[in-house]
Amino acid sequence: MSNEQQEKHLTKKDIRRTALRWQFMTSNAYNYESQQAAGVVFSLSKALRKIYKDDEAGYKSSLDNHFKFFNTTGPAASLILGATLAMEDREGKKAQPAVQSLKTGLMGPLAGVGDTIFWVLIPTVFGSIAAYMGLQGNPTGAIIWLLVNIAVFLFRIKIFEWGYATGTRLVTDLGSKLNAFTEAASIMGLTVIGALIPSVIKMNLATTFATGKVTMSVQKDILDAIMPSLLPAVLTYIVYRIVRTNKLSISKIIWLLIGFSLVLSYFGILKP
Amino acid sequence: MSIIQDVLIIVLAFWMVIDQQGPVITTWFPVIVAMIAGFILGDIQTAMVIGGTFQLMALGVANIGGSSVPNYGLAALVGVYVAVRTTGNIVDAKAAALAVGVPVGMLGIQLDVLGKILTNPLAHKAQQYARDGQYKRMNRTILLAPVLFGLTTAIPTALFVIFGKPIVTFILEVLPKWFTNGLSIAGGILPVVGIGILISMMPIQKHLMYLIIGFVAAAYLKMPMMGVALIGAAVAYNFFVQKVAADKNVSTVGATEANIEDGDFDE
Repeated sequence: MSNEQQEKHLTKKDIRRTALRWQFMTSNAYNYESQQAAGVVFSLSKALRKIYKDDEAGYKSSLDNHFKFFNTTGPAASLILGATLAMEDREGKKAQPAVQSLKTGLMGPLAGVGDTIFWVLIPTVFGSIAAYMGLQGNPTGAIIWLLVNIAVFLFRIKIFEWGYATGTRLVTDLGSKLNAFTEAASIMGLTVIGALIPSVIKMNLATTFATGKVTMSVQKDILDAIMPSLLPAVLTYIVYRIVRTNKLSISKIIWLLIGFSLVLSYFGILKP
Repeated sequence: MSIIQDVLIIVLAFWMVIDQQGPVITTWFPVIVAMIAGFILGDIQTAMVIGGTFQLMALGVANIGGSSVPNYGLAALVGVYVAVRTTGNIVDAKAAALAVGVPVGMLGIQLDVLGKILTNPLAHKAQQYARDGQYKRMNRTILLAPVLFGLTTAIPTALFVIFGKPIVTFILEVLPKWFTNGLSIAGGILPVVGIGILISMMPIQKHLMYLIIGFVAAAYLKMPMMGVALIGAAVAYNFFVQKVAADKNVSTVGATEANIEDGDFDE
């Protein structure tokens, strides 16, 4: 690498401290207008001050630049912000337009990858394991999840350092592999979700059928004989279709299902 | 002792949302919140049952891209608190937790939206301070935002800690059996929402078969979740390796138009 000849202002310690500030702030200053921007400013301000030590105007314009709209998954943002910090460290004020376009250019695609891994895959896999053990009164699964979260937290600081160390190169290099990784992750996710349907959704028909002397339980003798967890599978399909159409908000769907459960309970069709 | 517990529960409520939006270690995911709450209240077992119930509802309901979703963590926390404090057995505890937790969790949506609206003027104020060169004030103003978010969960929790007991006893005495049963049924059905959202976010048309594999493993083979996750990991790993190899070959072919080193890809 030939970047080394440029003057750098930040030490390894500065980078780590900035990474930590970002991990703690991320969406904690979120607002609807500029989203994570204020959090970005808070996290980078100390490091930027060091970069623009004797350049008051440069510092002000840099802060102004970072007050612009920004929103992506926390870990993905670590990579972007690490890279842009390196750019400003090397080039100073000249880098600011490039910083802005890198941030807006990458936040979309990286949010897709980041959301899939950090908000879907990890909470689904570890959440369902922890929930199952939890229902038995066992906290082991929750403790495992907590440990995983600590590992991810440390990894996120590392990502920030990578972003800084390799500037913009890392992101473009990883490009093709990241797509394959996201798709692989969603395959794992789908397998787990498939298993969640029968194990998580509980619907018990209370109705029985009486023909002569024989009483048949609709649930046990009919539905379960066709396919185990038939009702949950059907309900999943219906809810999936409703979600896909985007016509009802999530909270409306939840209220509807609560109402539906109360009605079915009142008429004694479903039992807990 | 119980006052210390009450204070710790409110502190946990305050920290929960800040952690979720930042470090994501203790998070606001119900099982973890419930575990900590159970530890504070000295009844981990009841707490875990309630946490597990809300966790299943919360699966897949993630607040991606700044969207607001029911705060099942808050539901679990308030649920665990009132259940441990007001009931003596697990069945009653679950009913009380659901009766109180579900509406509180839904209220969490509005509180989250409110928080994200109130932080807007803070950002403008901070930017003004930056332009005026008052950098310390800028950062202090931004720090008010997490405090605000903490309050959106700490205040409702505090209300339940202070006034909760009579409310819950009243609810349990007055509500008819079919109503609390209905809430339990809803507890069993609601996970479908998260699962529906998850599926709609995934490349389901392309990879439907993996959903079916997972379903069969659990519904017919009664395989525990960890086993299914391992199958998923194995299949995903295989897919990743093949895909990277295929992409590499494609790009090598494109660049040199010769020299296919391992020709066993099938695209």
